[in-house]
Amino acid sequence: MQPTPTRLDSAADAMSGANETLLQVRDVKTHFFTDEGVVKAVDGVNLSLKRGQTLCVVGESGCGKSVTARSILRIVPAPGRIVSGEINFQQRNGAMIDLAQTNPKGRAIRHIRGREISMIFQEPMSSLSPVHTIGSQIMEAILLHLPVTRQEARKRAVSMLELVGIPRAGEQLDAYSFELSGGMRQRAMIAIALACEPQLLIADEPTTALDVTTQANILDLIRDLQQASGMSVLFITHDLGVVAEIADEVVVMYLGRDVESGPVDAIFHDPKHPYTRALLQSIPRYGSRDRDRLYSLKGTVPHPFDRPSGCPFHPRCDEFIQERCNTVDPDRYAAGSAQSVRCLLYSPDADLYAKEDSKP
Amino acid sequence: MDFDANKTADSARPLLEVRNLHMQFPIKRGLLRRTVGFVSAVNDVSFSIRPGETLSLVGESGCGKTTTGRCIARVYSPSSGQILYQLDERESVDLAQFDNRELRPFRREIRMIFQDPFSSLNPRLPILQIVGEPLRANRVASGSELEDRVATLLRRVGLRPEYIRRYPHAFSGGERQRIGIARALALNPRLIVADEAVSALDVSVQAQILNLLQDLQEEFKLTYLFIAHDLSVVEHISHRVAVMYVGKIVELAQADELFANPLHPYTEALLSAVPKPDPRLRNKGARIRLEGEVADPSDPPSGCYFHPRCPYAQDRCWHEEPPVREIGADHWVACHFADELELRGFEAIGAARDA
Ligand SMILES: Nc1ncnc2c1ncn2[C@@H]1O[C@H](COP(=O)(O)OP(=O)(O)OP(=O)(O)O)[C@@H](O)[C@H]1O
Ligand SMILES: Nc1ncnc2c1ncn2[C@@H]1O[C@H](COP(=O)(O)OP(=O)(O)O)[C@@H](O)[C@H]1O
Ligand code: SF4
Ligand code: SF4
Ligand SMILES: [Mg+2]
Ligand SMILES: [Mg+2]
Repeated sequence: MQPTPTRLDSAADAMSGANETLLQVRDVKTHFFTDEGVVKAVDGVNLSLKRGQTLCVVGESGCGKSVTARSILRIVPAPGRIVSGEINFQQRNGAMIDLAQTNPKGRAIRHIRGREISMIFQEPMSSLSPVHTIGSQIMEAILLHLPVTRQEARKRAVSMLELVGIPRAGEQLDAYSFELSGGMRQRAMIAIALACEPQLLIADEPTTALDVTTQANILDLIRDLQQASGMSVLFITHDLGVVAEIADEVVVMYLGRDVESGPVDAIFHDPKHPYTRALLQSIPRYGSRDRDRLYSLKGTVPHPFDRPSGCPFHPRCDEFIQERCNTVDPDRYAAGSAQSVRCLLYSPDADLYAKEDSKP
Repeated sequence: MDFDANKTADSARPLLEVRNLHMQFPIKRGLLRRTVGFVSAVNDVSFSIRPGETLSLVGESGCGKTTTGRCIARVYSPSSGQILYQLDERESVDLAQFDNRELRPFRREIRMIFQDPFSSLNPRLPILQIVGEPLRANRVASGSELEDRVATLLRRVGLRPEYIRRYPHAFSGGERQRIGIARALALNPRLIVADEAVSALDVSVQAQILNLLQDLQEEFKLTYLFIAHDLSVVEHISHRVAVMYVGKIVELAQADELFANPLHPYTEALLSAVPKPDPRLRNKGARIRLEGEVADPSDPPSGCYFHPRCPYAQDRCWHEEPPVREIGADHWVACHFADELELRGFEAIGAARDA
C-alpha cells in the first residue's frame, strides 16, 4: 500500500554514515519573562539524536517537553526566549549549524523548517488552517521548499496522502480539516510534515488524543516511513507504553531538565533515577495484583515560580538524603549500563555520604 | 437483545438497567439548518450496572460512550428506550421518561465527572462555590456549614482546605480533577458516570486519581460507569467491561474474562493494539492492523457493522446483523462466529507481566 518515498537528495545520503549524530542539544535554557516573573520552562536540557533513530522525550505535563521541541525549531512564543545553550544540527549538505544562534526570523532557520526539520503539533486542530483545504496546505509546503511546478506539487500531495493511508486521496485533497475525523486529521498533519522528506521529524504527542487502534496505525506509519527514508524522529509523549514500542533512546524530563537518559532497554529494565522508577511503577500493568492500589508518586509538580532548592525533585523523592539533596544541585553522572543521571546517589562521592549517614 | 445481569444467579439486583437505549442527533445542513439525516450515536444498547461495581465502556473515539453516559445522567433525553433505576428492594423508576422536575431528586444520586479538568470548571468561581454549588442548589447547606462541608470534601479528595478561596487556574490538571470529584461527591451520590476522567492525566497523576476513585468506592459503596479508551486503566479498575462499536455494545463480560478470552474480533483487535510497557516485548505477537476507518454512524454498513474491517468476515456478515448472545457465564457477544473463532487474549498477544 505504501510506496517508497522518492529521495530528492540522494547525494546527501551517501555522505551520511550510520550512527552519525544528527542533532545535539547542549544545556539549553528557555525562559519565559512574564509579568509575574521568570518561568524557567526549560532549564538545562541535553539530548542527542543519531541518524535514523527515534528518541523519546517523556515527563509529566508542564515539564518542558513542548518548549524543548519549539526551541529546536526556534518557534518559542513571546515572552519566551532561549537564554543559553547550543542546538547543533547537521544539515543535508553536511554543514553543522547551531540553531540556538540563528535569527528566528532569518533565512537560515526558515530554510531548515519544513525542509530539514518538520513538526507535528500536539493540537492538530490549531495547527491546520480551517480556511484552506488539506491539499492546498500540503502543496504550499511543497512549493515553499522544493523546486517543482504546481502540477508536480499536486501530484506529490496526492501521493503523500496515499502514503499516510488516507482513503480516496484525490478527493480528500479538497477537504477542509474540520471535515476529517481526529485520526484522519492527524494523518493529514503527518502528510504535511513529511511532504518535503525532512531529516528530522519532531512529533509532539501525535497520538495522545487518539484511541489505541488509530494510535497503532499512526505509529506503524511513522516507523515504515522511517525505515524507507532514514529519517530521525524526536517523539514527545507521556505514554510509557508508546515509548517502549518505538524508542531507541529515551530522555526523561523533570522541571525543565533531563533527569535520566539512555537506551530504551536500560530505562525500562534498569532505571536509575528515583523519578524514572516512580513513573514506571505508576503504570497499570496487565494481570498485576487485580484492582490493587497503584504506586503513586507523592505530591505534585511544583509551581514554576517555586522551584525547590538543591535537587528539584527532592520534595517528592523517596530516596532523599537529608542536608544534601535539598542543598546540592546534582550534575549529570554516568550510571548503569549507559545512562546519564542527574541524581546525587550516583555522584562520585555518593558512597562517602551514604557512609556518613549510617554513622551513629 | 438483552445483556441481562439478572440471569446469573449470584448477582444482586441491578442498580441501573438500560434497555434498548437509542439516541439520535439530527444532522443539519445549509443556511436554513434543515435536517438532512440522523446520527445514531447510541443504537439499541442494553446492559445493567450492579450496585458497588465498576462497569467500563470502551471503544474508539466517536463510538457513543459519552452519549450513553450522558443519557444515563440525563444530560440528554434519549430518543427511545428505558433507563430503570432501582429505588429500593422492590421498586424501580424509568428515568428515560422523566421531565426535569421529576428528575431533580435523582440528579443528586447520579453524578458525572468529566474528561477535561481544564474546561469543566467555571474559571470565574472559587473552589468553595464550585464544590458547594450542588449543596447550595439543593438547599442542603449554606453559610459556615457549607464551608465546613466543602472543606471536608476537599480533604477527602486529598486537597488542602485552605485552597477553598482559590480559582481553578491556580490548580494543576490532577488537582482540578480532584475538584471535579469533590463536586460529584457533595450530595452522597450512588452512581458516578466518570467520562474519560483520567485520560488527560500523566501516569503519575493518573495513578493517584485511580487510587482515590477506588478508595471512595469502598468507603461510600459507590457504583461507577467508567468511560475510557485506555485499556490498561480499564483492566485495572473494572469489574466488568462493555465494548462498543458504532453505537452498539458488541461484547460484555467480567474484566478478567474479557481480557483473557475475548469473543468478538473487534475486542481482539483492540487488545492487540495496546502498547506494552516493555521494550523487550516489541514485535512479539503480531498486532492486528485494522484497515479502514471507523464506520460512519449516520450511514452504517449493512449486516454486522464491523464487517468492512473484520479479518474474519464471511458472506453472512454482509447481510445479517448478529444478535447478542450469551456464550459462557455472564459473557455476552454479538458476532455470528463467536463460538467458532479462536481469538487471542491480552496475554497470548504478549502482554507484560509485572516486572
Ligand atoms: N507562552 C508561555 N508563557 C509562559 N509560560 C509558558 C508558556 N508556554 C509554556 N509555559 C510554561 O513552560 C512550562 C513547560 O511547558 P511545556 O508546554 O513545554 O510542557 P509539556 O512538557 O509539553 O507539557 P504537556 O505534557 O502538558 O504538553 C510550563 O510550566 C508552562 O506553563
Ligand atoms: N451533540 C451532538 N450533536 C450531534 N452529533 C453528536 C453529538 N454528540 C455526539 N455526536 C455524535 O455521536 C457519535 C458518538 O459520540 P460520543 O458519544 O461523543 O462518542 P465517544 O464518547 O465514544 O467518543 C459521534 O458520531 C458524534 O459525532
Ligand atoms: S538527588 Fe536526592 S532528591 Fe534528587 S533524585 Fe537523587 S536522591 Fe532523590
Ligand atoms: S459477525 Fe462477522 S463481521 Fe461481524 S465480527 Fe463476527 S465475523 Fe466479524
Ligand atoms: Mg506539550
Ligand atoms: Mg467521549
